[in-house]
Amino acid sequence: MTLLRGPFRTRRRAPGAAGTRMWTWFMLPGTLWMTGFLIASLLLVAVLAVGTTDELGNPRFGFDLGSVRALADPAYTEVLARSLGYALLTCVICLLIAYPVAYTIALYGGRYKHAMIAAIVVPFFANYLVRMYGWSVVLSDDGPLLRALRSLGLADGGTKILNTGFGVVAGLVYGFVVFMIIPLYAALERLDVSLIEAGRDLYGGPVRTFFFVTLPATRQGATAGLVLVFLPAMGDFVSAQLMGGPDQIMIGNLIQDKFFQGQNWPLGSALTMLLMLVLLLGMLGYLRRTRKDEAEARR
Amino acid sequence: MTLLRLPSSAAPTPARTRIRTRRRRAGRRPRILIAVTALFFALLYLPIAVVTLFSFNARKSLTVFDGFSLRWYRAFLQDDVLISSLGTSLRISLVAMAGSVVLGVALALGLVRCRTRLGSLAGLIMLVPLITPEIVTGVASMLLFKGLGVTLSTGTVMLSEITFSISYVTVILRSRVAALNPEVEEAAMDLGATRWQALRLVTLPALLPAVLAGAVLVFALVFDDFVLAYFTTGVDPQPLSVRIYSAIRFGVQPTINAVGTLMLAGSIALIALALFIPRLFGRRGGLDILSGE
Repeated sequence: MTLLRGPFRTRRRAPGAAGTRMWTWFMLPGTLWMTGFLIASLLLVAVLAVGTTDELGNPRFGFDLGSVRALADPAYTEVLARSLGYALLTCVICLLIAYPVAYTIALYGGRYKHAMIAAIVVPFFANYLVRMYGWSVVLSDDGPLLRALRSLGLADGGTKILNTGFGVVAGLVYGFVVFMIIPLYAALERLDVSLIEAGRDLYGGPVRTFFFVTLPATRQGATAGLVLVFLPAMGDFVSAQLMGGPDQIMIGNLIQDKFFQGQNWPLGSALTMLLMLVLLLGMLGYLRRTRKDEAEARR
Repeated sequence: MTLLRLPSSAAPTPARTRIRTRRRRAGRRPRILIAVTALFFALLYLPIAVVTLFSFNARKSLTVFDGFSLRWYRAFLQDDVLISSLGTSLRISLVAMAGSVVLGVALALGLVRCRTRLGSLAGLIMLVPLITPEIVTGVASMLLFKGLGVTLSTGTVMLSEITFSISYVTVILRSRVAALNPEVEEAAMDLGATRWQALRLVTLPALLPAVLAGAVLVFALVFDDFVLAYFTTGVDPQPLSVRIYSAIRFGVQPTINAVGTLMLAGSIALIALALFIPRLFGRRGGLDILSGE
């Protein structure tokens, strides 16, 4: 009896305690790697934001609030406000474009649903720079879009898209609209079509049915999409560089400038922390929203 | 669609007809929605089409197409700087792919199976690269290397790209690991296999499609990545995407159209491959990014 029980017991126990220990060892290399390279480096940015520079412009560690105070300069607050405005406008436009597209594919796509979503996702994960470059050619003064608008009489010779704020927003929308389409499509796919039918049977017009039935049912997908678009749009600097002029720079361009041309690393770090702060506030707002939604759903 | 159809035996009383027309109207495809979607697809592919078209242009113009020619492709092949950048990018992608797949698969296994407090902390750390904008990760990585006194080079790009890609591999693998039946592994061990043998002979083969898909996707993402590479690369050699960035900042260069077309074609093929690898193994569904994960 004891002879038999012995080996069986250890076998059975092994997946428990020894297993946990083994899986912890599996987790460690990746986690330590990310802690060492990413978490540590993010902390370094925070430390350098209160650092100084010597006469040669090399960064020095220390405690100096000069760079943080410099952020209050109107030159910087203006750029921050503009970035926020562009990013929020991008979010709204992405929602307005992505909703009908995701709705059409999810409800009328039939057997081509997956193919159509793949046809949207695949090019979006292909080279971002080349896509943005192609988009800037499309939007240029002699590009196909303005020529088409001119021949339709919707634009005249003076109409410009490049080097305007609208051009930058158009770039951001083109760059990130897929992040709105994916969660919206997932939400609309799950949507029970009979709900829409019920709305119509209760004599709600298409508009009222949409606002009282479809939209509330997919609000979680929409908020997820808003966050997923806001995060990269706020930190982007390629769109403002290719589609905008000197008056349209965003906070990403400032950061890039401080680290490459301007060589003021503490100020660049302070700007980076400011960007992170804005994004963190956005994330917190999103988390509160989803928690509220979940609480309501449970009720 | 079957939901929209009424039983055909329904008697056509006035009320019925009314409901029926209503239902039929709901089932018809609204033309406006179809038009908006078609316009969206057109604008989505227009830039890609423009780059491709003008890469075959005989003239150095981005507005007038003047006959088919391969001169920009020839110019690219004869450009030693661009060709060496291509080699650099391929090396970076291969190393980043290998490193992040090993670390990411192990992390995914650990995260799913280790339900301790350390496990949930590791799960949080894993999310940081996904919610941090690339410019922040780029700045942070550059500062770390400079702070440690490391000269920026191809090696530093590789290290940063691995850091950034681990999370992708883990996210892709995690749901697959969670879907595995742990009893199969236990059965293998009851039949005399050690833990390692069970992992090597049972678990990893079951994960192979997802691992391959993750590897191909990471290769493409790293090859195409620009921001992180831009902040962490040395002066020479530079990855191809950084070269492209410098080129398109300073005006029209038709060679870039040719390079861009090749890169787009390459990464579109790779990403499509990553999406369909699980199907090649006879599994439905493909990658989870399609279901909005």
